[in-house]
Amino acid sequence: MNVGFNRQTRDDSVSDLAIVAAQPRAAEVERGKVLRRMALFDFFFHNLTRSAAILVLLILGGVIFSLIYGSLPAIRAFGLGFLTTESWNPVTEKFGAVAPIYGTLVTSAIAMLIAVPLGLGIAIFLTELCPHALRRPIGVAIELLAGIPSIIYGIWGLFVLAPFLQQHVQPALISLTGDIPVLSSLFAGPPYGIGMLTAGFILAIMVLPFITSISRDVFDTVPPVLKEAASGVGCTTWEVMRYVVIPYTRVGVIGGVMLGLGRALGETMAVTFVIGNAHRVSASLLAPGTTISATIANEFTEAVGDVYTSALIELGLILFVITFFVLAAARFMLMRIEQKSGA
Amino acid sequence: MTAMPVIETKTSTKVSVRNLDFYYGQSHALKKISLPLYTNKVTAFIGPSGCGKSTLLRVLNRMYDLYPRQRAEGEVLLDGENILDPGIDLNLLRSRVGMVFQKPTPFPMSIYDNIAFGIRLYEKLSRSEMDGRVEAALRGAALWDEVRDKLTSSGLGLSGGQQQRLCIARSVAIQPEVILFDEPCSALDPISTAKIEELIDELSERYTIAIVTHNMQQAARVSDFTAFMYLGDLVEFGETNTLFTAPQNKKTQDYITGRFG
Repeated sequence: MNVGFNRQTRDDSVSDLAIVAAQPRAAEVERGKVLRRMALFDFFFHNLTRSAAILVLLILGGVIFSLIYGSLPAIRAFGLGFLTTESWNPVTEKFGAVAPIYGTLVTSAIAMLIAVPLGLGIAIFLTELCPHALRRPIGVAIELLAGIPSIIYGIWGLFVLAPFLQQHVQPALISLTGDIPVLSSLFAGPPYGIGMLTAGFILAIMVLPFITSISRDVFDTVPPVLKEAASGVGCTTWEVMRYVVIPYTRVGVIGGVMLGLGRALGETMAVTFVIGNAHRVSASLLAPGTTISATIANEFTEAVGDVYTSALIELGLILFVITFFVLAAARFMLMRIEQKSGA
Repeated sequence: MTAMPVIETKTSTKVSVRNLDFYYGQSHALKKISLPLYTNKVTAFIGPSGCGKSTLLRVLNRMYDLYPRQRAEGEVLLDGENILDPGIDLNLLRSRVGMVFQKPTPFPMSIYDNIAFGIRLYEKLSRSEMDGRVEAALRGAALWDEVRDKLTSSGLGLSGGQQQRLCIARSVAIQPEVILFDEPCSALDPISTAKIEELIDELSERYTIAIVTHNMQQAARVSDFTAFMYLGDLVEFGETNTLFTAPQNKKTQDYITGRFG
C-alpha cells in the first residue's frame, strides 16, 4: 500500500485534513488490515450464498434423476401405453396411469373453480370493504386454516363432510340435474359421499388460505392514489377492483393461484381419505376415483415386485411433469398478458 | 379567521363551501372554511404544508369517503346541491368533479384505454365515436401529437410529464364540470410544468378549476382567485392580483414574501 502517495494527495487537496493526515501511518496500516478482513468475509459470504443456490439445482437434479431411474423398469415394461391404459392390476402386474392422472386433474380443477373466486372475493372484502375491527380476526382465521394439518382435513372430510354431502347435497344435485344433458352425467350414480367432488371440496378449503392471503397482500401493495384516481373518474368499488387493482397485481394474484394449484395437485393425505381410491375413470364427479399422490400413498407399502414399485415411481414422475407444465403454462400466460398490456 | 369573503361577483358561483369543518379522527383539519369557486375561473390554494389545502380539495369530490374515520361537517354546494348529503351518488359526483393528483396515476392499461375507460363507465359509444372522443381528449391535453402512433402501448411507458397530461386527458374525457388539481406539477420538470400550466389556462375556458400548489409563482401565473390557508383556517381569499400585490392580512404577506412557510 502506497501510504506516502495517499498522504501527498491529501495534503494537497484538503488542507483541513492536514492535522489528521499528520499522523496517518498507524491508522492507515490498521485500515488496510480491516479492509483485508472485510474482503475475506465478502469472499466467504459470496461463495456461501452461491453454493446455497447451486445446492437447490443439485437437489432438483437428484430428484429428477432418481425418479427417472426408479421408473425405468415400468417404462421398459409398458412404454407409452402406461399413459393410455386405465386398468391397474397388481395381480397380473398390468399398470396404467389414466385413472390417477384423470383424478388428479379433475379434483384440482374442481378445487380451483371453487377456491379462486372465493379466495379473491375474500381478499377484496378484506382489503376494500371490511370494517377495520373485523379485518384482523378474519385475516388470522384464514391463516389458521392454512395451518391445519392435512390429516385433520382428511378425518374431518371422511367423518363429517362426506356424510353431510351424501345425505343432503348429492341427492339434491342428482335430482336437480337429472334432465339436463351434460350435467346429469356429471352428477350421476348413487351418492357415495366419498368421491372426486368431495375431494375437490376438501382441496378447495385447503388451498383457499394461500389464494386469499397472497391476493390480500398484493392488493395492499396498490398505491392508494391509484385507487383514488379510479374512484375519481367515477368507478364503483367493483370497477376499481376489476379494472385497476386486479390488472395492477395480476402477477402476484396468478402467483398465489399457482401456489394453490401446486398444492392441490400434490395434496395427498386429505384426498386419500375422501376420494374412494378406485382406479376408474368415470364421467360422474360423484363416483370414487383416485389421484396420483393418493395412489402412491395407499399402495407403496403393499407394492411387491419391481414393476409394481416402479410403476408407482413413474406415477410420481408424471406428477412432477404435470406440475412443471402447469407452472410453465402459468409463466407463459403471464408473458402473453404482459406483452398485450405493453407493460 | 376572516368572515365570509366578499368579492364583487363578475361571474356565477359553481361551488360554494360554507362553514366546512373536517376531521381526521380527532384532529380538526379544516375550521369553518367558507369560500366560493367561480364558474370557469381558476382558484388556487396556497399555504404551508399541513394547512388543509389538499384536504379541502378531497372534500370537493368526497374522496375522503374512501377512508374510515374521516368526516366533514358543513355544506358544500355544487350548483346549489349539497354534496355532503349522505344520499348523494358518489360515482355521479366524481364524474362531475374530476381530479388530477400530485403523482401521475395512469391505469395499468394502454394509453387509449386509459382515456376510454372512464367514458365507457357512463356511455355506450361505437368504435368510431370512441376514437373521436379519445382523440379529442388527448388533443385537449396537448398530448395527441406525442402519442398518436402508440395508442395501444401501455400508459406506464410514458414520461412523467406525459403521464400527467394523460391523467388530465382522462379527467377531461368524461366531461366533468369541475377539475381539481392537487399539486399537479410537483413531480415534473420545468418544461412539463409549463405545458401543464398552459393547459390549465386553456381548460379554464370550459371548466371550473381548483388547484393546490406549493409554488407561489405558479399560483400567480395560473389562477384568477387565490385562497391562502394556514393551520386549517382560511386566512385570506381574493383575486389573485390583489392578494399578491396588496394582501390584507399580515400572515398572507409574510407567506407570499417568503418570510415563513
